[in-house]
Amino acid sequence: MSAAETPVKGSFRGASDLPLVARQVRFEQLSFWLNPIGALLTIGFSVVFVVIFLSTSRNSTVSYLPINLGQYYVPAFAAYGVMAACFNVLAISMVNRREMGLLKRLRLSPLPTWMLLAAIFINWMIIALIQVVLLLLVGHFGYSVHGPHDVGMFLLVLVVGMLSFTAIGVGMSTLVPNADAAGPMVSLVFFILVALSGLYFPVKAGSGLATFTGLFPIRHMILAMVYTFNGIPGESVWNDLLVIAVWGAVAVFVSLRRWTWSPKRG
Amino acid sequence: MPAVSVEHLSKSYGDTVAVRDVTFDVQKGEVFALLGPNGAGKTTTVEILEGFRERSGGRVQTLGVDPADHSTQRWLRTRIGVILQELAVEPYYSVRQVLARNAGYYPNPRPVDEVIELIGLSEKADDRVKRLSGGQQRRLDVGLGIIGNPELLFLDEPTTGLDPSGRRETWELIRLLASEGTTVLLTTHYMDEVEALADRVAVLFGQEIVASGTPSSIGGRDFGAVTIRFRLPDGVTLASLPVLAKPSDDGRVEIHTEDEVRVLHDLTGWALEGGHALRGLSVLRVSLEDIYLGLTQARAERRGEEPESRR
Repeated sequence: MSAAETPVKGSFRGASDLPLVARQVRFEQLSFWLNPIGALLTIGFSVVFVVIFLSTSRNSTVSYLPINLGQYYVPAFAAYGVMAACFNVLAISMVNRREMGLLKRLRLSPLPTWMLLAAIFINWMIIALIQVVLLLLVGHFGYSVHGPHDVGMFLLVLVVGMLSFTAIGVGMSTLVPNADAAGPMVSLVFFILVALSGLYFPVKAGSGLATFTGLFPIRHMILAMVYTFNGIPGESVWNDLLVIAVWGAVAVFVSLRRWTWSPKRG
Repeated sequence: MPAVSVEHLSKSYGDTVAVRDVTFDVQKGEVFALLGPNGAGKTTTVEILEGFRERSGGRVQTLGVDPADHSTQRWLRTRIGVILQELAVEPYYSVRQVLARNAGYYPNPRPVDEVIELIGLSEKADDRVKRLSGGQQRRLDVGLGIIGNPELLFLDEPTTGLDPSGRRETWELIRLLASEGTTVLLTTHYMDEVEALADRVAVLFGQEIVASGTPSSIGGRDFGAVTIRFRLPDGVTLASLPVLAKPSDDGRVEIHTEDEVRVLHDLTGWALEGGHALRGLSVLRVSLEDIYLGLTQARAERRGEEPESRR
């Protein structure tokens, strides 16, 4: 074996790998935007709902919080944007990629696994961030909604939320047996929990519904975004962050146990 | 050093054996075929060689490294190309975009336009993948397998789903790659594909190799009986022929013999002497398909299974 043929060990080659990650993210983004209807539905859903809700009821007050509905809906739908991109669409997309054999093909390319997964996750985080920024701009310039008041905590909630819901999305994808089941399984769970967790109407803490949905991370994400966006005194988000992070950790465990690159065709 | 070396390879999933005691090697520059029915263990064997699946036992080397060694997998994958059994291409990219993306994974890729031309998609280069026909998508899949300019190319049933002209074009491409020195390991269940492409073939049946050799000699094919067929001349009966013959399914008469030189000598001598025309005369050695079915039936009967031809 000549020197040129000597195997090079290792899958991480330091800073020289970062341009490859950026390149892969660019292609992930390209793939997303090349399907404009899908892109519009993913990003536009939350914006359309916020416009409808703010146009009809932004000045009504939330009964148990010192804010109006405008100040509630913008961060709540920003939370929805994060969860929709990083959980709902990511999970369905991962199932489809797996079942189409796309994950297997990329696994067999020289692109290291960590690079591929990092690019996929960064791609959906970018899409989540685009939604958050769009909602803040629509709220601010269209309806005089102000925030975030606690920028540092708001960003922390965003980061923890994106990471955890990405992990939950991947974990969920490993539970879905085939491409046909992906949309119904993932979206059913997501949209029911989103509705019950207070996205469309605030759910008062301590109620039976709040107690039930408090078991899941969606309500905590909505509340953490609403509290940090408005800087509501006396409302700590650490408990919410802890619940979100624990769900993320459990999802990582599930993913590691159940992950497969090959189609399941279950 | 062979490009691929496999010794006593085995793979099991619990109690289910997927591959049993498989041994073969593939020399550099060779086109090697793994021939066998569905479920014989071909894809599992190839996936182990690619480093996609881990083996249960045995020793395997691909381009001099153990494909299961994670520390050299990235290096190995820059030197191999893989064409999967099933089509796997993203629908929204254009042909050029998807090839350009994958070209970026390799240190010395083939130029994208060269690959597009090789796979015959020059006129579709800027079309979305989802707009391509099934055969065109399959060709793009082949393009993704060769974009990295691989030393070793794995093709898992590369022409399944292609129409006859698509199959011929893929064969031409494989021949071209082989002529450039690329080592090719292909799996197939098409006999004509093996005869058209392979330098050597191993028959995989019931999770193990039952025979190996060149397509023209495997299973004693080069020493076996031949079938001589011809139309019976007008006014001649079977009994008046100088050799023992019987009616054939196609309306001719046929002679099975392992002594074809003497039989042909007797037959043509008789025809010349009597002024008989032996129209439709053909001499066929036993086909690869006959050898394959014979091998697999014999193995199945030994193991008390139903042979493939009776399923």
